[in-house]
Order: sequence, then structure tokens, then C-alpha cells
Amino acid sequence: MRLFVAGIVILFLALGSLLIGVGDVSWHALVTPSPDEQALQLLVISRIPRLLAVMLVGTSLGVAGLLLQMLVRNRFVEPSTAGSAESASMGLMVAAVLAPQLPVVGKMLVAAAFAMGGTALFLLILRRIPLRSVLIVPLVGLVLGSVFDSVTTFYAYRLDLLQSVNAWKTGDFSTILRGRYELLWLTLGLTCCAYVAADRFTVAGMGESFTTNLGMNYTRIMGLGLLIVSLVTAMVVVTVGMVPFLGLLVPNLVSMFTGDNARKAIPWVAVGGAGFVLLCDIIGRVVRFPYEIPGATIAGVLGSVLFLYVLLRRDARVG
Amino acid sequence: MSTSDRRPFLPFAILGVVAVVAVIGVVVKLQQPSADVVTAPAVEPASSAKVATVTIQHAQGESVVPLNPRRVVVFDLAALDILQALGVDAVVGVAGDQFPLHLAPFADAKFARIGTLFEPNYEAINAARPDLIITGGRSSAKYANLSRIAPTVDVPMGGARYIDTVVANTEMLSRIFGKEEKARELVDGLRQSLAKLRETTASRGKGLVVLVTGGRISAYGPGSRFGVVHEDFGVPVAADGLKASLHGEAIGSEFIREKNPDWLFVIDRDASMGQQGGAKQVLDNELVRQTTAWTKGQVVYLDPLNAYLIGGGLQAVGLLRDQVAQAYATPAP
Repeated sequence: MRLFVAGIVILFLALGSLLIGVGDVSWHALVTPSPDEQALQLLVISRIPRLLAVMLVGTSLGVAGLLLQMLVRNRFVEPSTAGSAESASMGLMVAAVLAPQLPVVGKMLVAAAFAMGGTALFLLILRRIPLRSVLIVPLVGLVLGSVFDSVTTFYAYRLDLLQSVNAWKTGDFSTILRGRYELLWLTLGLTCCAYVAADRFTVAGMGESFTTNLGMNYTRIMGLGLLIVSLVTAMVVVTVGMVPFLGLLVPNLVSMFTGDNARKAIPWVAVGGAGFVLLCDIIGRVVRFPYEIPGATIAGVLGSVLFLYVLLRRDARVG
Repeated sequence: MSTSDRRPFLPFAILGVVAVVAVIGVVVKLQQPSADVVTAPAVEPASSAKVATVTIQHAQGESVVPLNPRRVVVFDLAALDILQALGVDAVVGVAGDQFPLHLAPFADAKFARIGTLFEPNYEAINAARPDLIITGGRSSAKYANLSRIAPTVDVPMGGARYIDTVVANTEMLSRIFGKEEKARELVDGLRQSLAKLRETTASRGKGLVVLVTGGRISAYGPGSRFGVVHEDFGVPVAADGLKASLHGEAIGSEFIREKNPDWLFVIDRDASMGQQGGAKQVLDNELVRQTTAWTKGQVVYLDPLNAYLIGGGLQAVGLLRDQVAQAYATPAP
């Protein structure tokens, strides 16, 4: 029921966002028939695709963050602090340099392969670390991510690609049009996958021996989670760029009232993630109208403030 | 057990630290004079030959430089462009390894590589024994360090007053090399051709300058680094209120469609870096295709090296002018 109310709120935000833009799209313009139907055209070509892209990114990145947190058993991890986003971005650069003519799907697959490698390396390192305190895990991820990042930056600097690398490091929905975001629909499939397998992830979140005791294949669950997280990250990086804090903030906020049950949490994370990105994108479009501020920049500012709140609140459950 | 074992080592440890500090001190002392020995030959020819000097006002103050220097290293591509136009052949070192077509001769290995456009390679510069260093634009920040090696002039960047800056830079450099007459000739030619171009562009519709990189679009207005299109080439402005920020204003395709320019000037930044240009792919969408510029085939892809990398070269600006003039000369289909 509460989920339903949240959905209605997001729906209103979404309808509002359709009216924001440089071109003239208002309910009035949509209702009154005009000879060239410009408003309707803008809506179909630009506004609706953008809204869908925003929703898909928010939903899938939020769920990816939740999965990663369960697999690693740490609340302070998300794709952009576990080396996933950085390695995806590295893969994208490799694709841009070695095979610039590759279609977007090809680039995405290269990025996904790199993301998987990077995230797997993160998980491997974690297994070898004897001391798995709450703070060590995200630190390892940050360090690993920075290593990937520095390699990317080094080659980008040498090859004069820095500006392009920055473009896919900051998520920006300004270039989304019909025909340029459809790859993101795949993330919806992956999100559904995550929902179907939600109970398994909940169990995996209890640890390896616990999972094995219940007669489940821990490695396979980990593999599935890794696949979902990497593919989602790669798709988002390829189509719009990375949105920081999303995978960290939303699952943490949600777990404040749903607990650690993935089946309960995933719908909330999906709705919350979509709402968060939508809000950021709307703010980014309004603040300097008719120019734009990338949604990821807004997410960085808004996200850091909200995350501090999560950390500092009285009954903080850490770990 | 461990404490009794370690205690005698403490004095030794202190002694060791003192010894290391002392050695470092000696090494530093020793290096001081040797550094002087290295720089001395670079200065010597100028002082011993008693060459005439000229005082030059530039972006970061005033420098006394030798008149007609024989060994010049250049960081700024715009300055390199101007020197070539003036017919100066004293350049011995250049920065970077990306050159537009007309500066391609400088890619030759006989010119010393003195670092990148941003970061000087001080050892290479020292080895090139310059009697003049020219910085500007991206290398301006290194002026203070470089001016300790040899007399240095910093060529100001174009921007709000694009052509005026090009002219001023040309005149400044011509004074150093005694090429004032040649400079006057070139500048007059440029001004005349621009005046002629403005006559055509003024009445042929409004234009918008966009830069495309990494799939993102940004718009530039008068006073920006690409303001030359409006201010000196005379193309009327399609989008008012664009601020003159370095990286332009981030826009979407909707913005282009709404402003509906008659001419779209595109700088494909990624192409300037030797990448496959993706600007056409980014702009070729359902919204931009509706603009007058697109339907009339009036989309001009400005040479990215001349527009982006050089920014303020005398020849580069001439080539851009030719590109725009040519676009306006072709009758609309």
C-alpha cells in the first residue's frame, strides 16, 4: 500500500518532468490540435525517452547496489565504489581506442566484460583479506576503483581522450532521444531477474556456509549477482554515464524500514532509485534553464547530503 | 629480550639518520654549482656576442629578449602558426605531436620535442639551448618556471577579442624577429578578407556554434573561444545569452531545434584528437534534422584542429574563414 503511494508520487514527478525542456510542450499545446503537432513530436522523440531512461537507470542501478551489498555483506558498497564502474569505463576506453567502429552493443559487451573482471577481482581480494571490518570492504573497493581509474586516466591523457572519459564518468541524460536509450530496456530484464532470484540473494547475504548448509550453490548465486551488477553497470555507463551515490543511498534508506529481505526491498529500491534520479534530472534541467547540469552532478551533491543523514541518524545500523 | 637487544641500536639509528641527512646535504651542495654549469652555455651566446635586445610586453609582463633569436622553442600552436606565417625559421623545438595540416612540417624529428602543450619537459628544453621560449594558452601556467631557463614571452589567448588578439600577437612576434613589414601585410590581408566575408554572412541567416565531445553537446556564443564565428566572420547569433565560459553551455538537441539556426557550425572535438569523429552521429537525430541548417545542408564542420587546438593562429583563422566563406559560396540545394 505504501509502495502504491510512493508510486503515485513518482508518477506525478514523471508527468511534471515531461513538461520541462527548451521546446514548447504544455498540456495546453498537447490538447489543442496544431497543424505540425510539434509538441506531440517533442514528447515522443525527446521527453518520453528521457523519462524512461531516467527511470530505468534509477531502478537498475539501485537494485545493482542492493545486490552488491548483499554479495559483499557490507552496506557501504555500490558499483561505483567496488571497481565495477571504473573497470567498465576502462573497458569503454579500450573499445574506443582499439575498435572505434564497434556498435554500441559491442562496446557495451566489452565494458561489461571489464566490469565483471573488475568486480570479480574485488570479490577475490575480499576473500583473501582476513580482517573484514565494516570499513575495510568499501576502502578496498575505493582503492581498487582508483587503481582502475588511474590506468584509464593515464591512457586517456596520453591519447587525449580525457574529455570523453569524463563524459562517461558523469551521467548525463541530455543526449537521450528516441533510438538512443533502448539498450537500457535490458536493465529492466536484469532487474526482474534480480527480483525472481531475490530469496537466493537474501540467503547468500547470510554468508557462504549458511548458504551451503541450506543446500544451495553459493558460487552460482555469487556468479549470477556479479553478472547482473556488471551488465547493469556497463549498460548505464555506455548509454548515459555513471550516477554516483544512487546504489549506495537508496538501498540504505530502504533497509531502514524493510530490513534485509531482498524480496521486500527490491520493489522499494526500484521505486526509490527511479525517484531519486528523476528528481536529480529535473533539478539539473531547471537550475540553469535552458542549459543543463548533468544529473550525476546533482546526484553527487544531493546524495552526499542524504548519505550523511543516513550515517548520522540515531539508530544507525552499521554492517 | 627484544628490548635489551634493540637498545644499543638506538644511537646507531640516530647516527644513521644524521649520516643520511649529511649526505643529502652534500649532494645538494654539489649539485648547486653543477646546475650553474649546465645553464651557463645557454646564456653565454647571447651575452658574449652582445646581440641587440628588444623589450616585449606580453601576457605575463615584460621580457627583454634577443632581437632575431636563433634558437626558439614554442609551446603554443597559435604562436607557431604565426611564426610560420611570418617566415621565421628559428624554431628548434615544439610541444606536442598533434599538428594541423599547415603545421605538419613541425612533426619532423629534426624539431626537438619539448614536452606536451600542458607540461614542459625541462631537460629537453635545456638540451635544446633556446635563446627564446614562447608559451601561451595551455602552457601559460608554466611561464614562471620556463622564464628561468631562457627569456620567455607568453602569447595571450584569443577569446573575447579574437582577431584583435591574433593581430596583437602577430605584431608582438614580428617585433622580435624584425618582420614588422610582413606582419602588416598579413594583418591587412586578413582584415580585408574578413570585412568581405562579413558582407556575405550578415544577410544569410543566424548561426549557432556547438562543440561535440563524448556524445555531449555544448553551445558557444560571442566572446567565447569560438566567438570568432559571430564577431569576426559576422554570422548573426541564433541563441542569445550564451555566456562566454571556457567549456560552453551543456545543451540537448531540443535546444538546437528550438533555436532553429540557419547555420550550424560544429566542432568535433574528438576528431581533433585523432579519434573517429562522432559529432555527425550525435547530431544526426530527429530533432536536429528539423532545423533549417540541417534541411538546407548548412551544417559546417569546422576543422577541429584549426578551431579547437590552435585557437588564435593567423593561418588557422584564415583557414577557418575560408571554410566558412566556401560554405556560404555554395548555393543552397
